[in-house]
Amino acid sequence: MAEQLLDQIRDVAEGQIDFEGQKLVELLVNVTLALTAVVAFLVGYILQDIKLALQIGLAGTALTFVIAVPPWPFYNRNPVKWLQVGGGLVPPQNLIIDEKSFR
Amino acid sequence: MYTSVVRLQNVFGFFTTVAFVVAAFIAASDFVAERAPIVRTLKTTSVQVVRGRPHYYSSKKEEYAVINFSLDADLSSLFTWNTKQVFVYVTAEWPAADHSTTNATNEAVIWDSIITSPSADHLANHWSRRHEEAAQERGREDGKLVLKNQRHKYKITHPSGKLATTENVTLRLHYNVQPWVGLLTWNQDVDYGYWKALKNGVSKRFKLPAIKEKKPASAGSR
Amino acid sequence: MLSSLANPRQAAVQLMNFGLILSTAFMMWKGLSVITDSPSPIVVVLSGSMEPAFQRGDLLFLWNRNVVTETSVGEVVVYSVKGKDIPIVHRIVRKFGKGPEAKLLTKGDNNVSDDTELYASGQDYLVRKDIIGSVFAYIPFVGYVTILLSEHPWLKTVMLGLMGLVVVLQRE
Repeated sequence: MAEQLLDQIRDVAEGQIDFEGQKLVELLVNVTLALTAVVAFLVGYILQDIKLALQIGLAGTALTFVIAVPPWPFYNRNPVKWLQVGGGLVPPQNLIIDEKSFR
Repeated sequence: MYTSVVRLQNVFGFFTTVAFVVAAFIAASDFVAERAPIVRTLKTTSVQVVRGRPHYYSSKKEEYAVINFSLDADLSSLFTWNTKQVFVYVTAEWPAADHSTTNATNEAVIWDSIITSPSADHLANHWSRRHEEAAQERGREDGKLVLKNQRHKYKITHPSGKLATTENVTLRLHYNVQPWVGLLTWNQDVDYGYWKALKNGVSKRFKLPAIKEKKPASAGSR
Repeated sequence: MLSSLANPRQAAVQLMNFGLILSTAFMMWKGLSVITDSPSPIVVVLSGSMEPAFQRGDLLFLWNRNVVTETSVGEVVVYSVKGKDIPIVHRIVRKFGKGPEAKLLTKGDNNVSDDTELYASGQDYLVRKDIIGSVFAYIPFVGYVTILLSEHPWLKTVMLGLMGLVVVLQRE
């Protein structure tokens, strides 16, 4: 019972996303943070206002965290298609992995 | 990037890198900002040497030089977006009395002031400013300092306790630019790129007079 | 996590990695120490005596070599006094003489009086060797974490708890 509950909490806390989602999130993080940096520096330099630069930087960073950390649904649009259990292909009899044969 | 924890770590890691790079760029932007400090006047208005005690309970008597001066300077070009404050200070310099140690000099601050930039005004703490100087000393107008017959802030002494009739004393204006991030810089004697030298920041040579006998209560600010 | 213990080779690799990280950090610190000739090339500001220039938690980079000029009036230096553990960051306001025996007096920008009271009893001035470095660069706020952790020890417990939670909630 406790184990089941822990499993459910783990599911929520883990926040898994699929492979395509991982590719996407990496791109988004790099682009938003880099863009934030460029905008913060240029705006701060042009307006000669370092506080504004700091605020833009922190806001952009907060936004990046919001975008990247939770497992938003659009990161899970390409779930991995596993092979059916027991059906379809039968693994070859002589498959050797880690020097242990699978039967 | 599979789980939330890993994504949190990765984003934070990349954030620190980006923040460091931006900070480096901000620090580097100092070097392309022009600095052209101007000094119009720096001269003494009254010079005295008095005898006093280092503190109230001391029995030792020392000679103190009391130097007041006038200063007209425009340091406004030192303020950029990365300037946190400019520490302006006036020193008195004189060569060593005995010429056994060649070229040795004595240097002591007689007056200083902190000019916070607009972005650091909330940090300026007024309690540390000393009473009557406070108003004029701040030089709030973007680093324009116009001081007429400014009272010294620190009476100066010498370890030997002797100062009267010292010759070849000069006053010199200095500044120290404190950035929000990056290198601390001081006034320079030669031009470096966009940064012009501080010219005219030295007073004429003068001689400290003989002791003026009077009874100072104590040499409060040493 | 625990399965790595079952595999001694993997456990050894992890141990090596951990040791590598530690020794790299130590080498960088000592390397910086050699370059700057300062026993402590980076310090965190602990007091407000140099405000508004330095706040608590700001990071200062020190340089302790006199390549072109001597350490002189107006420089902000970190010095340590005999018998006191914590080094002090203050500005030099007086200098009498020249060379290693020159007498130096310091004062905090935010203090009303100079540092004579802070020196060892009978000591009226500093000399060059009391100074462990002159501040040449500055990064604000970054060192505040160390102040938080040393002043609020319960934060360490909270951090350990958070790490434990992460471990519990992670599947292998």
